[in-house]
Amino acid sequence: MKLSISILLLTFLQVSAKVHSQERLTLTEKGISWERFFDLLEKKSNYTFLYKNDVLPHKQKIDVSVVDQTIPQILETVLKNTPLAYQLLAGNLIVVTSRQAPMSEIRVTGKVTSAAGDPLAGASVKIRGTQLGTTTDNDGNFALTVPEEATLVFSFVGYQPQEVAVGGRTTVSVVLQPQAGSINEVVVIGYGTAKKKDLTGSVSTIGAKDVNGLPVGGTAQIMQGKAAGVAVTQVTGAPGDGVSVIIRGQSSFGSSAPLYVIDGIPTSDGINEIAPDDVESISVLKDAASASIYGARAANGVVLITTRKGSMGKPRLSFNGYTGTQTPAHLIAMANARQYFNAYNTAAANDFVAGGSGNRAPLPTGMLDTLPDVNWQKQVLKNAFIGNAQLSIGGGNENTRYIVSADYFNQKGMILNSSYDRFNLHTAITSTLNKMFKVGTNMNLAYSKTRQVGSSGDGYSAPGGSNPGASIVRYALFRTPVTPVKYSSGPYAGQYVDLPDAVGGANVFGDGLNPVALAANTNRNFYNYTLLGDVFLEVTPVKNLTLKTDLGTNFIITDYKQFFPTWGIQRIQNSPNALAQSNTTDFTYNWTNTANYHLVVGKHDITALVGTEIIKNDVKLISASNSGYPDQTSTFQYLSNGTSLTPGVGGNESTWALSSLFSRVSYQYDGRYLASFNFRRDGSSRLDPTDQWGNFYSGSVGWRIDKENFMQNIRAVSLLKLRGSLGQLGDQNALSNYGYASLVGSNGYYAFGNTPVITSTIYAKGNPNLKWQTSTMADVGLDLGLFNGAFNLSVDYYNKRTTNLLQAPQDPSSAGSVASPAFENNGKIVNRGFEFEAGYRQTINKDWSWEVNANVTTIHNEVLALLNNQPIAAGRVDNNTFATSTAVGHPVGAFYMLQADGIFQTPKEVFVHAYQGPGIRPGDIKFRDVNGDGVIDQTDRVYAGSPIPDLTYALTGHVTFKNFDLNLFFQGVRGDKIYNQVGMDIEGFYRPFNMTEKVATKSWHGQGTSNSVPLLSWTDATNNKQMSTRFLESGDYLKLKNIQLGYNLGSRTLTRLMIKSMRIYASVQNVFTITKYSGLDPEMTTSANAASANEGPKALNIDWGTYPAARTFTIGANINF
Amino acid sequence: MGVAALFAGAGCKKILDQPVQGSYTPGNFFTSDANAQQAVNEAYKFLSFNAGANNAIWVLGDLASDDAIKGGGSIGDQQDFQAVSQFNILTSNSAVEAVWKNYYNGVFACNVVLDGLTGNNKVSPSMQASGIAQAKFLRAYYYFILTTCYGNIPLHLKVETAKEAQTPARPQDSVFAQIEQDCMGAAAALPATAPSLGMATKGAALALLAKTYLFHSDLANHYQLAAQTAEQVEGMGYQLTHLYSDNFSAATKDNTEEIFTVNHLSGTLGIGNELNVWFAPRPPAPTNGYGFFLPTQNLVDNYESAPGGEADPRLDYSIARAGHSYFDLPYDPTWSSTGYNTKKMVQPLSEVPAATKNVGTVNYEALRLGEILLIDAEALNESGQPAAALIPLNKVRARARNSYQYDNSLAGYPSVPAGLLPDVTTTDQTQLRDIIRRERRSELALEFHRFFDIIRYGKAYANSVLQPIAPNFNYDTNKWFPIPQSERDANPNLFK
Repeated sequence: MKLSISILLLTFLQVSAKVHSQERLTLTEKGISWERFFDLLEKKSNYTFLYKNDVLPHKQKIDVSVVDQTIPQILETVLKNTPLAYQLLAGNLIVVTSRQAPMSEIRVTGKVTSAAGDPLAGASVKIRGTQLGTTTDNDGNFALTVPEEATLVFSFVGYQPQEVAVGGRTTVSVVLQPQAGSINEVVVIGYGTAKKKDLTGSVSTIGAKDVNGLPVGGTAQIMQGKAAGVAVTQVTGAPGDGVSVIIRGQSSFGSSAPLYVIDGIPTSDGINEIAPDDVESISVLKDAASASIYGARAANGVVLITTRKGSMGKPRLSFNGYTGTQTPAHLIAMANARQYFNAYNTAAANDFVAGGSGNRAPLPTGMLDTLPDVNWQKQVLKNAFIGNAQLSIGGGNENTRYIVSADYFNQKGMILNSSYDRFNLHTAITSTLNKMFKVGTNMNLAYSKTRQVGSSGDGYSAPGGSNPGASIVRYALFRTPVTPVKYSSGPYAGQYVDLPDAVGGANVFGDGLNPVALAANTNRNFYNYTLLGDVFLEVTPVKNLTLKTDLGTNFIITDYKQFFPTWGIQRIQNSPNALAQSNTTDFTYNWTNTANYHLVVGKHDITALVGTEIIKNDVKLISASNSGYPDQTSTFQYLSNGTSLTPGVGGNESTWALSSLFSRVSYQYDGRYLASFNFRRDGSSRLDPTDQWGNFYSGSVGWRIDKENFMQNIRAVSLLKLRGSLGQLGDQNALSNYGYASLVGSNGYYAFGNTPVITSTIYAKGNPNLKWQTSTMADVGLDLGLFNGAFNLSVDYYNKRTTNLLQAPQDPSSAGSVASPAFENNGKIVNRGFEFEAGYRQTINKDWSWEVNANVTTIHNEVLALLNNQPIAAGRVDNNTFATSTAVGHPVGAFYMLQADGIFQTPKEVFVHAYQGPGIRPGDIKFRDVNGDGVIDQTDRVYAGSPIPDLTYALTGHVTFKNFDLNLFFQGVRGDKIYNQVGMDIEGFYRPFNMTEKVATKSWHGQGTSNSVPLLSWTDATNNKQMSTRFLESGDYLKLKNIQLGYNLGSRTLTRLMIKSMRIYASVQNVFTITKYSGLDPEMTTSANAASANEGPKALNIDWGTYPAARTFTIGANINF
Repeated sequence: MGVAALFAGAGCKKILDQPVQGSYTPGNFFTSDANAQQAVNEAYKFLSFNAGANNAIWVLGDLASDDAIKGGGSIGDQQDFQAVSQFNILTSNSAVEAVWKNYYNGVFACNVVLDGLTGNNKVSPSMQASGIAQAKFLRAYYYFILTTCYGNIPLHLKVETAKEAQTPARPQDSVFAQIEQDCMGAAAALPATAPSLGMATKGAALALLAKTYLFHSDLANHYQLAAQTAEQVEGMGYQLTHLYSDNFSAATKDNTEEIFTVNHLSGTLGIGNELNVWFAPRPPAPTNGYGFFLPTQNLVDNYESAPGGEADPRLDYSIARAGHSYFDLPYDPTWSSTGYNTKKMVQPLSEVPAATKNVGTVNYEALRLGEILLIDAEALNESGQPAAALIPLNKVRARARNSYQYDNSLAGYPSVPAGLLPDVTTTDQTQLRDIIRRERRSELALEFHRFFDIIRYGKAYANSVLQPIAPNFNYDTNKWFPIPQSERDANPNLFK
């Protein structure tokens, strides 16, 4: 910092020296305007001319003829006998004024601060067009005498310059925004901030500009593709549905979701209730050194979100908004009625056995003409609206800054009765009371309403409340095209149908529910009310010591209401009808106290932090249900209107608390050698009361090679830093609140005589020795900046070993299976890989500039140990059939199944091949006899791939040309596999479902006709559709996620409209996807099946026909008034 | 201020005191008699047939024998049950898994009671004694079923951690010894008469002890002990009902013969008898059942008949056959592939309508005097007292033939047909052995005991009975069902 001041001073002195250099000009011009005259002087001299446009007598032309004169001499000559006067100011500034109204000078004072609120010492404040100006003092203050009409240019290394017209004001303060990728960028870290150049840990940052105009509902979604090592996946395309964020790999058998801290408030669900437009910056703490200050909650990484704050200056009103439409991005080519009809008859012929009793009669030719031809995907996926509007006002002065904003987001689903609405209010105020005290608050209020339909899964064991049921998309895919959406006449006229009762029956028309009717009869609503906010007091009793106490809360009320109407042919669905409601209040508060001391002694620079924190969470649930509603209309869908004699009630409460001490010491020597040490001691109520405490340590070192003497001649290198860190992190989330204790409760009934009696027993076993699962992470990184920061590169190698994994081992069944088994600390997982983040930006000229940023992450995930090294089966796709096996030596949730090996082409091939079961014939799928025992059975299963991509990558590009800007965002993954379970439904040919066009038209029908699509046969489906690599597909994809074209309107038009600046843009989300995956969307592969949902990473990438992401077209505007 | 705040935070250990909400822990549950009673109630729960596929003892006890075949919708309907009757039994067989899990769940519930009432607790001494005695009896009952099904099995006598639970299978001899010890402990503390129908009594504990002795062939004098104990039960005031069928009717579930009964009630609490729907004939029969558990011709042929052709009345009380009624309906033999349906564990639609057919109210007589008399007879004969054995044997036969004196629906009522089920007089041990075995098969038909008797009778008997109907049967490998896969997977010490 001192260095930069001296550089500025030097420059300034040189400029000053020029004032006295008596420059001389020779000039001969005839009939030029005044403007042209001053222009010429400016170009030929070092002087700058400042004048108001209306002062100049524009109609007047002048003649100039001077030889070897100084500028003042020229002006004396030319301005004589004109209404103009001039004044030579310090610097080379010449102000031209009218003689009648002499130019006035004013003294302007102000303060320059960073976005984080820190004063910027040594920032340059100049009058535009001159070298005249000053620099700010240690507190960021400046004072300068300037002409009334001057425009000040504020600049500071690493920050975007900012221009402010003085406009007669005597106070001008500005907040400088950091330049992207700049080494002076201030980064939010745990319980504080740091300069990016001083970081020794691995932190990725995402700024507000990444948010702009992306038509996404959630803040987590904007993180996608923005940071290496952060895998963000939209779990389904359903509006308001969750987003999975995994930092540096799956390191738990439960959730690997990171800890979110918003404005210092820890939250698990709060992230979903923050409007993306209210986000100022996001820091992702990835390595142990950065994250371990969060101790027992940090093992999955920490995401710090800072919401927008007011900046100094007059109140500024701004509007951001977009509106658009969502359309299905991709449909699977399914058989039409004719293809389905023909395939049916082909299969009937293939399966015909002379004298057999199971033969199906071929459909009569004329029948096809009587049947409808429905494309069910088009019936359920319709164009839908999306829109967002945000209005904010912010401003402030030296003492107080504020912002208030309101945001409304509305996304209708492509499937009927799915939607998401959110309304946000955001306020942030900080006020410096005096030299010692500063107070502030951040408040976020949100209301959201989510309407859900079955978005994934087959509804298997769907527990009420947590699972919306079977996927509408799945039903749409396998519903046959020959069934009508609605009957036009008959006893059920106007009503939706489920199964038509017509010729051929279910064999021809299929079974399953009518997806249109199912969606229409789904009425499932979640109403969320969220408060996330804090108040803080900051005290600076002595210089360099800051004490802060912060009280935060996150309060979420979730209201669930679902009505299950009776519907369908013979009104068999939901009979009797029922209403279910629940109300959950999830209240968390935290009280955080920190003391921060900064000490500089010579070349030693030490920052020390100590703090304490307590966090408590309390979740209360009330639920009720009733059934037998005589009137199904919405005005009667209340608990009181049901007629059940035994309406349901439920309720419970559960709490946890954390008490912590933490500390961080950061040391720098000469800005070259950097080190940091973190310590946190956490006590958790989730551990046995006799032993609740644990310690977490981490340390990191850094070396600024570019600061070394031997680097001083290498001008191109502006930053070269080597850093390394090592430490431990805990995973509090994987523990349940009371896992240390066995729980006893009522568990059903028995009867003595004629009296039922309640029975109680241990229903959950506890383990008093439970501990946090612990990740030990090493990280080595290199940061490189070239050409004054135009090119930036960060490379990290990380190795994260998670031990003491929490596993609920299968107890021997003789130990009783009434009680859920106790968790145990067992097992080990490693995640390791490289992360690259690179960016380059270039300004070609004043019209053209471009910027490109890319990131690439590799990951190797492997289970190193398990309880008894016993593989864990997960991902149920059928009774006793599980798609994955988590086993030592393989990634978590590795696919484990038979290996399909083409199709039997000849009887001889069938004969010589291992025995696959009765009735195998040419045209059937062949499986590999892996163990060589001559029989194909479950012992021939192989580890067939991983649901975790080896490689994830993203690229953003940004081009500006004059007032236009173009943004592109690509994102992709490689190396993962997807088990296409719905592919089994629509290609397995085992029930009267519709099939893909491929199956209907390209099936095997003789030697050499196909080696991938078996012959059409119901009887052979048992063999052909069994779980195998036939339905396991590559999940590689590359998506152009977003393309956006913007235009900044010219200021002339805007001034008339009282608008400072305005940008309008058009954008397309999910422009295209390059993939070989045959399902709807390789990114949306969640299963909401109860089992899969609880199995976490052990059951990923099983596609049951998930609600796809839409292609979204929007237009929008950002307006600043 | 900051320093004060730091200390305030650091001192905040109190916040970590977050007690369990809404549930007890074992440490604070056994603080009242009412709570203790609920834990005891749970120990009974696994007796119930409220889920026919969970409590699949009927599959192992009778489908594996020559008495019944699976039935159901098709061959593929409950394929694993079919596999049991064909002795094509995988360790993952669902019936083999179900019985194991159900009865070990019972053991677990008993151990929760025993741990809770023997450790620190605030339960009254009388409730403690009563609870412990009931839990011991029930644990013995569950272990008896487990060891007769699976032979050498793990013995869990307390609630264990996952590691502790990984114990080796113990020899059947020591399992029987544990059962005997529990029965004796229970008998000493249980009341002679049940406070309420379905509760354990001293008689139940002794009856189970007698039965255990009968099976416990590694014990040198087990027949003497079985006979003695059976006679002790006989002396406790139990009486055979006049009508054999009273043991299988919901209306007469509380009767003089019942020693230990598995109680079922109607309603929505899940305490009804689901076998009522499993065993009733399938549509088109109006009974609207699942049609499982079909008696065989071989079983029907086991019943004696009078020279005049009148059958042992127990046949028609147990089995529906052509020309006779199925409760209040005329029986149509096309309802069953064998031509027969069981009448035990099922009720007429007039008692349990189709809408609640899976919630039957008829009990399962787990231990009744009829069986105790036959245990006595068998034990006496095997211990060399054939003459003494005739007394209990003939009591059973007399009750059966005397149905004619009490059942006015029988043709010829009230006179017993000549020569029907005459008293046995032979004292030839070998002849009498065969007679007792045949008698036991008729008396206890379709009550889920037959397979265990076949195995107990030895290899020669078992082969002669089972190999003709299940060629796969191999006495040495099939005398016990395999320990299920779920145990093998999670218990690495099982065979150590």
